[in-house]
This record gives sequence, structure tokens and C-alpha cells, in this order.
Amino acid sequence: MQEHGTLRLFKRGPSVDVRLFLLLVLCLALLVVDARSALLAPVRQALAVAIYPFQRVALAPRDAMDYIDSWTHAATLARDEQDALRRQHIEMAQLSTHAAQLAAENEQLRRLLNISEEISQHSVAVEVFYVPPNFFSHRLVFNKGTRDGIRPGMPVIDEGGVVGQIIRVTPYSSEAALLIDDQVSIPVQVLRNGLRLIAFGSNEVGKIEVRYLTASADVREGDTLVTSGIGGLFPAGLPVGRIEKVDRDPGTGFAMAVAQPLSHPERYRHFLVLRVDVDGAPGPSQEAAHE
Amino acid sequence: MNNRASRGGTSSLAALQPIDASPFHRPSHPFFVWGTLLFAWVVSLLPWRMWQPTPDILLLVLAFWCLHEPRRVGLLTAFVLGLLMDVHDSELLGLHALGYVLVAYGAIVLRRRLEHFSTLVQALHMLPVLVVAATVVTLLGSWLNGEWAGWDWLWSALITAVLWPLADILLFLPQRRLDDADVNAV
Repeated sequence: MQEHGTLRLFKRGPSVDVRLFLLLVLCLALLVVDARSALLAPVRQALAVAIYPFQRVALAPRDAMDYIDSWTHAATLARDEQDALRRQHIEMAQLSTHAAQLAAENEQLRRLLNISEEISQHSVAVEVFYVPPNFFSHRLVFNKGTRDGIRPGMPVIDEGGVVGQIIRVTPYSSEAALLIDDQVSIPVQVLRNGLRLIAFGSNEVGKIEVRYLTASADVREGDTLVTSGIGGLFPAGLPVGRIEKVDRDPGTGFAMAVAQPLSHPERYRHFLVLRVDVDGAPGPSQEAAHE
Repeated sequence: MNNRASRGGTSSLAALQPIDASPFHRPSHPFFVWGTLLFAWVVSLLPWRMWQPTPDILLLVLAFWCLHEPRRVGLLTAFVLGLLMDVHDSELLGLHALGYVLVAYGAIVLRRRLEHFSTLVQALHMLPVLVVAATVVTLLGSWLNGEWAGWDWLWSALITAVLWPLADILLFLPQRRLDDADVNAV
């Protein structure tokens, strides 16, 4: 074969093998560091900010389509929504009077107990920016970030209940891990009897798991799990899931329950991020100190 | 191929090429190279990659330019683009980068041999490179995430290789047009 690249005699920089070796080592180092620690978070954030304009441009046609679509269907959509809302309104009216009464009573009791903290929740409505095409995790990226007061750790809810938790933020976007992601754990309790548990993302797609139950724990199929408010991040009383099956293992004396989340992150594009006080949340050490 | 030889005769240095040499390639315009890379990257930001067997267009364009324009596009470009994809996919940093660097290396190493072959043979050569890189990436990702990723990524590598001839047609379009213009001029 004829060599016709005499210019290649003059190499520029290190040879391609050396470069490959260096870059491979760098890649592996990045992978291990990123998998084991949060050291690279600033790097990721800087890159995320850098690619944000390109993401907006890439998704602009989709947003335009949605916009046009919503215009053309505006009338029917509005009518449907109005019907649904009116129905909800009637259902809520009674509840809300009851709630107002309870809130007033609660306020009074708090005053009596000298608890002065704010109990009403501020929240930010967010829209799904895109869903990262990542096989290993279940995430959503929203179109608002630290500029709107979103911080890592804040819970995300929809009308069904808890959707997930914010795990990364940039000034313009934020990333939430869904309940079904195995990085999320959430303190819950059984609505029926107040039994406190911890729910995790499950190996089963689209489910959550409650582990570390004693075999005699009073959990049944059909039980509703709500957040218990322990841990400080998730406000108490938000619906999380409904128990589908309970596996009791008499051999080990432990049981495990699988639950179906009550929220529907795959259906809607708008969610609510609750702006809880992330920094003031009691950490593990404080909880230990209480005991 | 005759037109190329005759064109060589008119200019000074290119005349030194033997008449039956492999097709002479004009270098692609740098703006075109970087423009196509940018375009492929922006296209990769679209949600269509949710489906796992989707071909990796960016990787295809990257490997193509590594093979044909190794002076402009090389391992470092592959690494940087890989990092950007990792950030977009909220993947562990370095996973895409590793795969892209491997494919770029494969393309650069195979370049000498592949320059002389047709696009179909080139695609056949690139297939194992793409599959090996995808395998390494998937095994590493599965190990670090503690979860097996299934087999659909193999399809992605296969479809990417199948698209190689198409990339050849599209990415050499400006040069073919120039060649045709030359023929008309002579």
C-alpha cells in the first residue's frame, strides 16, 4: 500500500496512543469520582449552564408546537378543565371550611405552645424541560432553578401526591429524582394506623418499596402511605403510594411491601416544587441528639 | 476518477500524485466540519433518544470526521462532546466521553486502511469499533449503577454503523458539488 502522507512525519503533540491513554485515565477517574462523591458537582453545573442555551434551541420547535397545539385546542381544553375544576371545587368547598377551622385551631394551639415557626408552604410551579434519556435512573429536568429559589432537597408534588425530590440545580434548571429512582428514600407512615416506615425506589419498574418491616408489622394491601414529616424535608400528610403486596418472610422475620406511587410524573408537564427550608432540616446528628 | 487526475494536471503540486492513486480528497471546510458536529450534537439533545436503540448521530458524525479530518477532529473533541452528553443525560460524568474517545481512536487507527475502501467496507469496519465501545460503556455503566441495562444498546451500535454510508453521502456533499463544478469548468 502506498504511503502518501509524508507530512505525518512531523507529529504535532503527543502521539494518538498517548492521548488515548491519558483521556481514558481521565474518563475513568471522572467516573469513579462522580460515582462516589459530589466533588464534580460544580463542574457538572458549569457545563449544564453552558449547554442550556443549546437545549433551549433544540427544544424550541417542540415548545412552539405545544404552543400552537394549546391554542388550537384551547376552547375544548378550557371547557373540559372548567368542568373538572367545578366538580373539584364543590368537593373541596366542604373540606376547605373544615381545614380553615382546623388551621385556626392549630394556630391557637401553637400560640399556646409558643411555637412561632411558619407553617404555610411556599411553592414554585415548574414545567418539565426534558426527560434525560438515561437508562439507569428516573429523572425529570424542570425549567426553573436557583433563580426561582429551588434548592437541592426540595420535594416535588403533583395533584396525586409526592413525585420526587430535587437533587441538582443550575440557575436556570433543576433536576428531580422520581420516587421510583433508587436514589430517593422518603419517610412515610401508614394512613390507617400511623405506622412509620421508610419507602425506597424499587427494582420493579414504576414501583416503590417499603423495606425493613418486621414480619408482624401491621401493613396490608390497599393501605395508603403518606409522608410522615419526620426528617424535615417532606411536609407531613402528602400521599405517596398505595400498598400492592406484602411479602412476609417467616425465615428471616422481616417483611417487604411494594407500593404503587399515587403521583403520575409521566402524565403531566406541570409540577409544584415545595420551597421547604432545606438548610434548616434536622440532620441525622440532630435526630440522634433528640433521642 | 479521470476527472480527478485531469484536475491534478492543471495545478502544480497535486500533479505529483500517481494517476491511479486512490481518490484524492479535498479537505472539508472547517466551518462545515464544526457545523455538522454542532448540528449533530443539537439533534442529540432532542428527546428521541429516549428509545434505547436510537442511533447515536453525534457519534457517527464524530467518527466520520475522525476518519476523514483527523487533524481537526480527534480524541479531545470526542472527549469534550462526550462530557456534554453526560451532563445532558445526567449520566455519570465520563461515561459517554469514554465511549466517544474509544470510537474516535478506532477511527483514527483504521484511517490509513479505510481511506482506500468503499463506504460499505468502511461501515463494516466501524461496526466492531462501535460495538466494542458500546460494550465497554454499558458494562462500566451497569457496574457503577448496579443494574444491568438489557441488550437494546447493541441495536443502537448496529444502526449507527448502518447509517455510515448515509453519513458519507451527506457529509461529502459539498465536495462532490465542488468536483462536479470542476468537471463543468474543464
